[in-house]
Amino acid sequence: MLSRIKTATLIGVGGYPVTVETDVHRGMPAFNIVGLADTTIKEACQRIRPAVLNSGYDFPQEKVTVNLVPAGRPKEGSHFDLPIALGIIALGWESPIAEDTAFLGEVSLDGRVNRIRGALPLVMSIRKAGIKNIVLPAGNAEEASIMEDVRLLPVENLREAAEYLRGEKGLTVYVKKQQQTRKIATRDFSQVVGQESVKRAILIGAAGNHGIMLMGGPGCGKTMMAKRIPTILPSLTYEEKLEITGIYSVAGLLTEESPIVEERPFRSPHHTISRTGLTGGGIKPKPGELSLAHRGVLFLDELGEFEMSTIDAMRQPVEDGYVRVMRNFEEVVFPSQVMIVVAANPCKCGYLWDEKRVCSCGRKQLDSYRRKLSGPFSDRIDMHIKVVAVPREKIRGTEAAEGRESNLSSEMMRRQVEDARVIQRKRYEKTGFKDNGSLDENGLKLFCTPDEAGEKLLSDAYEKLGLSMRAYMKLLKIARTIADLEGSETIKKEHIAEALMYRVSHWEQEPGV
Amino acid sequence: MSGGWAQMNFEKRGNEMGAERNKVERITSGQPVYPARLKEIKDFPKELFYIGDLKVLRQRCLAIVGSRKTTQYGRNMAVSMARRLAERGVTVVSGMALGIDTCAHQGALRGGGGTVAVLGCGVDVCYPTENRKLKEEIERAGLVVSEYPPGTEPERYYFPQRNRIISGLAEAVVVVQAGGNSGALITAELAAEQGREVFAVPGNIDSLYNLGSNKLIKEGASPVISVDDVLEPFGLNGITEEEAERLLSETERRIYNMIRGSGEMTIDDICRRLEKPPAYVSSIVAVMEMKGVVFSALGKIFVAKG
Repeated sequence: MLSRIKTATLIGVGGYPVTVETDVHRGMPAFNIVGLADTTIKEACQRIRPAVLNSGYDFPQEKVTVNLVPAGRPKEGSHFDLPIALGIIALGWESPIAEDTAFLGEVSLDGRVNRIRGALPLVMSIRKAGIKNIVLPAGNAEEASIMEDVRLLPVENLREAAEYLRGEKGLTVYVKKQQQTRKIATRDFSQVVGQESVKRAILIGAAGNHGIMLMGGPGCGKTMMAKRIPTILPSLTYEEKLEITGIYSVAGLLTEESPIVEERPFRSPHHTISRTGLTGGGIKPKPGELSLAHRGVLFLDELGEFEMSTIDAMRQPVEDGYVRVMRNFEEVVFPSQVMIVVAANPCKCGYLWDEKRVCSCGRKQLDSYRRKLSGPFSDRIDMHIKVVAVPREKIRGTEAAEGRESNLSSEMMRRQVEDARVIQRKRYEKTGFKDNGSLDENGLKLFCTPDEAGEKLLSDAYEKLGLSMRAYMKLLKIARTIADLEGSETIKKEHIAEALMYRVSHWEQEPGV
Repeated sequence: MSGGWAQMNFEKRGNEMGAERNKVERITSGQPVYPARLKEIKDFPKELFYIGDLKVLRQRCLAIVGSRKTTQYGRNMAVSMARRLAERGVTVVSGMALGIDTCAHQGALRGGGGTVAVLGCGVDVCYPTENRKLKEEIERAGLVVSEYPPGTEPERYYFPQRNRIISGLAEAVVVVQAGGNSGALITAELAAEQGREVFAVPGNIDSLYNLGSNKLIKEGASPVISVDDVLEPFGLNGITEEEAERLLSETERRIYNMIRGSGEMTIDDICRRLEKPPAYVSSIVAVMEMKGVVFSALGKIFVAKG
């Protein structure tokens, strides 16, 4: 007797369809699962027997063999419970729907179907294989409902699924809940007072997707401003939401309360994080912080405190926009298109540039700190922004003069960012570039030629300020974004001039400090 | 085999040291090339070892000294003063320590002038090692000098000793920034004893970094209230009205005067005063920075000259 049930398995943030073949033959009672199943699936044997029995079906007292096809690729996840259990129950049945329905779900000993990890990518891969009907745990229905053009059939327990499979009882198709009213954003740039020049710099960074380094003493507002950057990035498109929700689903970070990622991610890993935690990987590859921040902001607070090897491991993924993890069986690719924002104190104790407090760092400490901040990773950060604490009197003064002050809100900033991004998208439509931040030498030659006055200033700057070639390239990229923010196709002198303010000044690199 | 390796390395190192040592020259107080000013002090060194060109000492000389631990303000002052002096043909003497000394040498080199580093170790020894590149530059464009024979490793008590040479070589000493017990204060004291004029750059009185230099002013050192003040003893003067007129546009001059008025400003401060957006102000300040009239450092803008 044989049965075939369709399901899927996860690999990285994607998945592929799998068929569960179940066969029962006369012999010593046994229950074996083959086809490169991992431990969670192997353990399913122990869960499925009681679950089947407790749901009121028979468990064959013979030799049961389950094969997961394709047998040569590794499979993982507790969502194989439901298809395997159904395969056993359905042995010998003539099921009319087994061909065009797929099943996902973890079962409890009492036959209840539990929430699973990675439901959205699983549903997506099943849909891609041409199957529209998907039976899944009720707890995952809302999450998967972001996917269009599928019929989601949520179940509470094994019996419901079995009755449906046999055609005894139908299941109701899940209808996506009414869009919740958008949460009122609690973070807004209008709450940041007296830092208009830093806000301007951040606006430029967000508009061109440039990496940003905020440098300044403790308590000057670096973290406060960094946390508000996602609020000025363009709203997520449907495809982006789908992609991000998929990643969070695999990472097991979705809850029933917030089943869909609606806002741009902001990830701020602690500096004790491991390399794997940041880039992703592990024996069963899971997305790291870089991928969890995909299409959002990865914020590294206190960059100087991170392990150097950890920071440098991020270089390649940030440049490529994806992380590649090799395992014995498969290669896994996690997306990692992030806007990098880092914050750093000028020294380990933070008071190096403070006028009132004395820095307690030793010389060796200062040196090693500085080396960290100028490693290959930070070299690829386009904009260096100095943040000075706003004195208390000024904050109060500004509040009083608020009518006069141009206090940019997130909403206003986001509109500017969106406009600049539209220009960039149009310009780079038929090229391999995504935005100004991703331009290379070739791109600079093609798209970043300043006008005559700009050229003059640029060559002056190159000589007088002793810019390196890399600094020169960053300068052009930033100037391109500034021009785009203004809606100007040519890069003018003032664009170059403003971009000059965001370079790494020689003070940060020279000894004698 | 491994023995051969070590041997080879040893020889190579020996040769390098030798090459460094070969450059070292020696003069005694009896020779006419011995700096005349230095002979005025009572315990002048009987012999001097040096790398570089003694010619820079024939120019007018001013010493800039200060603490190793400094603030941005102190470093800015050291660099811009040294640069200004160098541009006017004055040789800057200092001790090549980290902090103010290093900034003074760098400023002088940037101004295209000569600079003299007086070491507390042999002139073929680089201390602090971070300044190796700087030392090479000074050797090329100026002079590295010491009373200690080549190969002498630095010792704590050598440094106060060499301070008398720093002040001895110079006509005047400027203490840019010194904490309460900075070695720069020793130099200032020696300078006063040797009859050299002592200047001190005032700093915030609530900052520990400026305690020593401010105390000097209290004790009678001349305060430096603009970078060009140090040019005075040499009969030189700073940026003139006409120069500013020629160099700066109208808005630039307005911003320049504002910054000069308050000593330091952030871009946001300027925006508020001008009631203009940061983009506008940033681009103007960047151009002014290239003209060399202002400095930007850590989000603050300082006046570079005048």
